[in-house]
Amino acid sequence: MTEPLLQLKNVTRRFGGLVANSGISFDVRKGEIIGLIGPNGAGKTTLFNILVGIYPPTEGEVIFDGRRINGLKPHKIAKAGLTKTFQNVALFAESSVLDNVVTGGLLHLKLSEARDFAMTTLDRVGIGHIAHKKAGDLSFPERARVEVARALCTSPKLLLLDEVMAALTPAEMEEIIDLVRGLRDDGMTFIVVEHHMKAVMKLCERLIVLNFGQLIADATPEEVTRNERVLEAYLGSNFSAEREVH
Amino acid sequence: MTRYSPLSLAFLAAVIAALILLPLGMDPNGYLLRIMCLMLLFGGLGQAWNLVGGLANQISLGHAAYFGIGAYSSTILFNQFDISPLIGAVVGMALAAVFALILSLPTLRLRGHYFALATLAAGEVARVIANSWTSLTGGPVGISVSYRPDQSWWMLQFQTVLPNYYLFLATFLIISLVFWLVKNSAFGYRLRAIKENETAAEVIGVNTYRVKLMASLLSAVFTAVLGTLYAQFQFFFDPDTIFGLAAFSVKMALIAILGGVGTVFGPWVGALVIIPLEEMANSYLGNSLAGLSQFAYGVLLIIVILINPHGLIPLMQSMKAKVLGRRAS
Repeated sequence: MTEPLLQLKNVTRRFGGLVANSGISFDVRKGEIIGLIGPNGAGKTTLFNILVGIYPPTEGEVIFDGRRINGLKPHKIAKAGLTKTFQNVALFAESSVLDNVVTGGLLHLKLSEARDFAMTTLDRVGIGHIAHKKAGDLSFPERARVEVARALCTSPKLLLLDEVMAALTPAEMEEIIDLVRGLRDDGMTFIVVEHHMKAVMKLCERLIVLNFGQLIADATPEEVTRNERVLEAYLGSNFSAEREVH
Repeated sequence: MTRYSPLSLAFLAAVIAALILLPLGMDPNGYLLRIMCLMLLFGGLGQAWNLVGGLANQISLGHAAYFGIGAYSSTILFNQFDISPLIGAVVGMALAAVFALILSLPTLRLRGHYFALATLAAGEVARVIANSWTSLTGGPVGISVSYRPDQSWWMLQFQTVLPNYYLFLATFLIISLVFWLVKNSAFGYRLRAIKENETAAEVIGVNTYRVKLMASLLSAVFTAVLGTLYAQFQFFFDPDTIFGLAAFSVKMALIAILGGVGTVFGPWVGALVIIPLEEMANSYLGNSLAGLSQFAYGVLLIIVILINPHGLIPLMQSMKAKVLGRRAS
């Protein structure tokens, strides 16, 4: 068996008295599409931010591609091949869509090559036609796609997608699912945070469930839907969370 | 990348030709030529500031430190060791780079107002040092560039102001060209990414610290060379002027901001508006009541900024777009 692409060992993050992530351990193998799910505030985005180096874990270790990366700055982690999209969309709003994506390409390419690669990537993500629009003028679903294209342009080995399907129509979701599957077939690996359960079930072969910062399940979608602790986390004490399941 | 129409390129060529030819018909020691020198000096300072303030949105209010380092380096080396200001300028550039490097260690991780305040303090520190280190700088009374009868390019001393004018012009055009090259390079993309979202820039692989440091060094070096040229133009300066907040630090930022921050021609327009405005305020109101000219100048600036907070270049672009749009419809 080959070495996992990503290993989390007992990753913990505290903010003052709040424990956002507590003792999380799991492995990711190359070519997997993993869903990271859990109720609001479960610590999903915090975990993404730790993985890409926005803040270091308080305890624990992150091994990526055979190398310890916790404590490295985000640009070093990006260079190693791990980046993410931003849930609340963090585009360069005054720049054009193309310039946003070109900036990602500059991680490994020269400017002229980055321009060509950015154009190809925009077409692949289905937004080639808005390449010259200002990023700040786009609709939310369009901006989410620019996020994806910009991250893809850094040629990551592992890409963390944070709610890129929020506010998409079912047809648009299908497009993103096809895109992610196609990229996986090219050798890319994904961890996906998504609230839309149908999309998650369809896209992912494995689900990791967080609740109150702890890992409560790591199994196939089939198994997770029958897991007592998961059902309790979603339905138990807070019934309003039920809507997120369906 | 910004594309320029043949018409605007022709206009640019005409402006540069005018800048080269106009002074030939003027009194080579006249008031008007001196004002044009100041316009080019401050245009160059605004452009150097724009490299880091405009492209990366690192609003520095301490750039007078680099300017003063340039002026003092060449003047002290010339007065005490008879070293040509041309070499002094290079020494000044190196010292300004060292100062920028030291200043960057604590400040480049700061954002927004905190960066502005830290750089402002650094400018003040330079002023206090120059005032107190009397044995080196001459202290608060100021320093004069020694007069040489054998005036030459090697000594950067001339019979008229005309050679100074061409030095200012050449430096101004070089800084503008460098700014344009930076803006349209991979470096420029990275600076813009930092300006618009620093965290996102890091996450997609921009070494934000290194990129900001490179921009700061480039900006400091150009500001220092203008300091030397200023010293050889005025022949006298003192710490409170050359490291002054209002006289230089704020004014070079203001010129870039008023003209259009982060644009190539912003500092051109900013200097073209502010320097004559200030001169007019001084000459019409300077004698009537102390401080009135500064007051009038301040009021005018506030009005211009209120009318158009993005600067004059973007204002002209949107007006042009409106005129062309109307013609097309």
